[in-house]
Amino acid sequence: MNRRTFGKLVLGAGVLAPFHFVRPALAQPAPGDELVVGIWGGVQERIVREYVEKPLVEKYGCTVSYVLGGTGERRARAYAERGRPSFDVLYLNIFESRQAVADGVTQAPTDAVPQFENLYDMAKLGGYGVALNPVTIAYKGSKASAPITSWKDIWKDEWKGRIAWPTYPGAEGTAGLLMTSLAWGGDEKNLDLAFQKIQELKPFAALQTSADQAFQMFDQDIADLTIEFGSLSRKQSDTVNSDIAIADPTEGLCPAMNVACITEGARNQVLAEEWINLHLSEACMQAYMREAYYSPTVKNVAIPDDFKDKLLTPEQIGRMPAFDWEYVAQQQTAWSSRFNREIAG
Amino acid sequence: MLARWKGQILATPVTLWLLLAFAAPLAVVVLLSLHEYADPFGPLFLPPSLAQFQLVLGDGFYVGVLVETLLLGAGVTLLSAILGFPLALWLVRVPSKWRALAFMVILIPLLTNVVVRSLGVVLLLAPDGLINGVLGLLGIGPFNGMLYNHVAVAIALAQVFMPFIVLALYDVLQGTSPRVYEAATSLGASPTMAFWTVRFPLAFPGLRAGIIVVFLMATTAYVSAKLLGGGRVWTTGMLVWQEAISNLNSPTASALALLMTFASLAFAALVGWGFAKLMPWQSLKPRGPTLTLPVWAMRLLDLVAPILSRLLVACALGLLILPLILVCIQSVNNVPQGTSAAWKGFTLRWYELVFTQGGYTESFVVSVQLALAATGFALAISLPAAFALTRFRFPGISALSMFWTLPLSLPGVAIGIGMLRLLQLFYTVPTFVGLMALHVVLVIPFSISLLVASVQQLDRAQEEAAQSLGADGIRRFVLIVIPGLMPGLVASGIMAFLMSFGEVTVTSFLTNARTTTLPVRIYAEATFVLEPTVYAVSASMMLVTLLALVVMNRVFSVDRLHVR
Repeated sequence: MNRRTFGKLVLGAGVLAPFHFVRPALAQPAPGDELVVGIWGGVQERIVREYVEKPLVEKYGCTVSYVLGGTGERRARAYAERGRPSFDVLYLNIFESRQAVADGVTQAPTDAVPQFENLYDMAKLGGYGVALNPVTIAYKGSKASAPITSWKDIWKDEWKGRIAWPTYPGAEGTAGLLMTSLAWGGDEKNLDLAFQKIQELKPFAALQTSADQAFQMFDQDIADLTIEFGSLSRKQSDTVNSDIAIADPTEGLCPAMNVACITEGARNQVLAEEWINLHLSEACMQAYMREAYYSPTVKNVAIPDDFKDKLLTPEQIGRMPAFDWEYVAQQQTAWSSRFNREIAG
Repeated sequence: MLARWKGQILATPVTLWLLLAFAAPLAVVVLLSLHEYADPFGPLFLPPSLAQFQLVLGDGFYVGVLVETLLLGAGVTLLSAILGFPLALWLVRVPSKWRALAFMVILIPLLTNVVVRSLGVVLLLAPDGLINGVLGLLGIGPFNGMLYNHVAVAIALAQVFMPFIVLALYDVLQGTSPRVYEAATSLGASPTMAFWTVRFPLAFPGLRAGIIVVFLMATTAYVSAKLLGGGRVWTTGMLVWQEAISNLNSPTASALALLMTFASLAFAALVGWGFAKLMPWQSLKPRGPTLTLPVWAMRLLDLVAPILSRLLVACALGLLILPLILVCIQSVNNVPQGTSAAWKGFTLRWYELVFTQGGYTESFVVSVQLALAATGFALAISLPAAFALTRFRFPGISALSMFWTLPLSLPGVAIGIGMLRLLQLFYTVPTFVGLMALHVVLVIPFSISLLVASVQQLDRAQEEAAQSLGADGIRRFVLIVIPGLMPGLVASGIMAFLMSFGEVTVTSFLTNARTTTLPVRIYAEATFVLEPTVYAVSASMMLVTLLALVVMNRVFSVDRLHVR
């Protein structure tokens, strides 16, 4: 490097230096900033409006706008907008969030969110886990000769023709494939066995596409067993159909989680981090527990006594298998093609 | 000189609009279908490959779903026509003082979200549903197999789409002079003979329009199939959605959508050709096939027709109304989730949530503004197109008319896929304007189809008489043509409004935080856990619609608009 070049570099650094100090100040939220959040409707929207939006708006004078819809549409849009996102924060499922980070659509989590350090390890992958709602076997207790204690129990003769299997893709359908494989000696890298075992269960009473549909099938005596979110099943059991039992299989529950993700290139980075920190606050976590029976993803929140038996125990969380979620996401096209032909067809 | 190009000039506005707002996403879909493999971040322009078409056409599963979808569409169309024809006849015969009320029965279901209407059908067909309840009182049943099969999906789709065929038929049926039937009966024709030889053939333009519309909509639908098919009924729309959205595999989804579009358009062309053969008088051809029935069949029909027609009308009305009644009941049911059909007690808390939280009111206002704007534009450009199609022959008119129908036959989700690739471009125009432009595109096939049937029914003699008395083109249009077209314009306007108001598939891809429409909000509610708030919203909408129609009827004498 000659002296002239060195001089230019020093001059350039001198010019840019003030910007280094000003940049954090520029990044600070200003009144009137608009945070755009992509989230599910219903109870999810209501809880974040009350426990996240209100304190955030009070603190910064910002506005929060919501793009509502299903995970699929939200993810498709985020992928289409990669590099120039219209969302600041979007909520995804566990395996989609991991893949979104790998694809450069969303950011990996960092300790810029203070509650990050209190997250369970599994809630630090692919974004910030905000609600644990693992998938398990939900069944009618009155139709079972004995409580279900293993994923293998699904293959008992008493359930033949009475199963509403979840369609794939989707959290429940993914759990059905992965846990079948695990229970019968396979893993996510070898699903041949799972496809064969699930075929043995045919004919199904129905294939269900959502928790609502599954519970409706239970209510109307169309099916007696399905694979569903434990949280929603527990709530259904407590409030609508007390005959619904929720299994705690020895192989563990299949992890599932709502994950808050900050988009790559988000226009309101600080607001987005603050939003997620508020989502992980005790008030919001407790609202999630009461309204949706979701288990907290952070260790430093109190669980109300009357909800302790409805939520995941630390032992259950520890027993949940760890899958290679990026691999699971990459295989989605191939698996859905196979599922359509061999299971649904 | 200008007169020579009149047809082309009339065809220009709608063609330009479609080129601007529809051809771009369609071109993207075509380009994506020529990609060899899926890459969500790859370039749009790649060396063309037929790999996706080979994949789809060489795969028994994909071909099976294509055929299944076409058969389902045909079944839904047949069911809608069988139930819709007697209903349209009933609508025509209803005394004028009751006609507005009768119209409300047809229109209110159209304003109810398709998700909620499908769930209403679930509540109707369920093992502990209304039908089994009534049958149980008679000591029959229960029948547990009515849900989650092709018949259930066909019934739900007929519930959703039958009003379109009824409105198309109504416009033509009430436009035919009663003297034609009087002449037939005065010449000794029995009611069946008069129906078979006079009323039925004269309704062909409306029937053709209705059949094409219902078939194309039924073959692109996926919400009802998803909710009532129990995972066993597959439609191409569902596959397109799964490939494009869940699997991020736009190329396969685009190829599927295009193949389905070709198949649907082939069907539409076949229907058009068949009806043209059945209506030789329209092309002034001397002969054509005639519909004849043996004498014994005529006599049998004379005996059973009065009962059969009443039964069909009752079934049609029941199918339209009963799911909505169940929706209203569910809106005050104290259950935690919308699909819990069992009665748990009366509550108004779902209404409280709707009116105090969730932004339903803003969404409703956005939906109304969007639907009004889309309707206005759609009618303004569809009317000239309808005249161009009906009264002018020029090179390319057939291709143009096919192009105008394309948005109807391309699944909404496919347009969404195309627009996803154009998002950055889309965001350069105000979102409301962009959404309005797309809604106009989606509405145009309906407007044109209905207006063509109306223009065909216009009495040219009146225009000629006015011309011979010295009226210029503008005066003839204002004083003769517009009043003559008023029923068709009203029907078309209502249809366009309803279509735009209820559109959710494309809108859900493109809506932003400030332009969330009511159906998108309801869909968002339904995609996670369905709370009874969606029933409360729908019941409120029905009440608002009913009140609006009653007020309109008193102030503007709406029922007079339905009489030529």
